[in-house]
Amino acid sequence: MNEPVERESVTGKTPAGGLASGFAAIYDEHSHAIFYLALRYLGDPEKAQDATHDVFLKAFRKLDQFRGDASVRTWLYRIAINHCQNLCQSWHNRNVHSNADDSIWENSAAKTDSPLRVLETKELGQRIQKSLDSLSDEYRLLLLLVADEELSYEEIATLVGQTADAVRGKLHRARKAFAAHFEKTV
Amino acid sequence: MKQHTKLTQKSESVVEQHSQPQAAMEFASSDELLRFDAAQTTLPPEIAERLKRAAGNLAPPPRIGWLKRFFGGTKP
Repeated sequence: MNEPVERESVTGKTPAGGLASGFAAIYDEHSHAIFYLALRYLGDPEKAQDATHDVFLKAFRKLDQFRGDASVRTWLYRIAINHCQNLCQSWHNRNVHSNADDSIWENSAAKTDSPLRVLETKELGQRIQKSLDSLSDEYRLLLLLVADEELSYEEIATLVGQTADAVRGKLHRARKAFAAHFEKTV
Repeated sequence: MKQHTKLTQKSESVVEQHSQPQAAMEFASSDELLRFDAAQTTLPPEIAERLKRAAGNLAPPPRIGWLKRFFGGTKP
C-alpha cells in the first residue's frame, strides 16, 4: 500500500482571507477527494476544477443547512455527485452507455484478484481515465467512491441510493470490467 | 554556432532523462490503483483562490426585520 501523499494546506496559514476559518478547514480536509472524484468522473481537468469550485461554493452557501446526520465528507460527496451527474446530463457529450456494455467486460477473462501491472507510470492517468470512461456512470462512480478509504460500504450505499449488499455485488462486477479495460489499454 | 551546440547538448540530456526506464509497478486491485492515482493527483491551487474570491462576494443578504416588513417600511 502506498503512503498517502501529504498535501499542503491550500488556503495557507491564514485561511480567513475570504473564507471562514471553519470552512477553510473543511476545504483543506476534503477538497482533494472531491477534486479527484470530479476529475475521474468527468474526465476533464478544467471541468473538474470548475466542478470542485462550484461544489464547495454550494457547500459554503448551505453550511447552515448541514444537519450533521452524515459526515461532512459524505455530505460533500452528495453535492459533488449531483453536480457531476447534472453536468453529464446537460452536456450530452458522453456516449450513452448501457449495462449490457459492461456485461461484456464482466464476463471477460480478467479477474478482480489478478494484479494490475504497470510499466510506465507517466501515462498511467490516461490509461485509468480511458478504462473508467469505458464503464457506465454507475460503475465509474462506485469504483471512485470505494477508492476513498474514508467511506464505508454503508456510506457508499447511501450515496448511490442502494443497499450495501447491492453495492458489493456491483463493485465486484465493476472491478472486473475495469481490470479488463485496463489490460486492453496497454 | 556555439549557441546551437548548447541547445543540442541540452536536448540530448532531455532525451536521456526520458529514455530512463521506469520501475514496473503492480497493484493488487483497481481500488489500490485508483488510490495510487489519487495520491499522484495534485489539487490545483487556483480552486482555493477562486473560492476565496467568490465566497468574499457572497455577502449575507440584508435581513429585513418582520416589523419593517409588516409595516411596509421597505419601500423607499
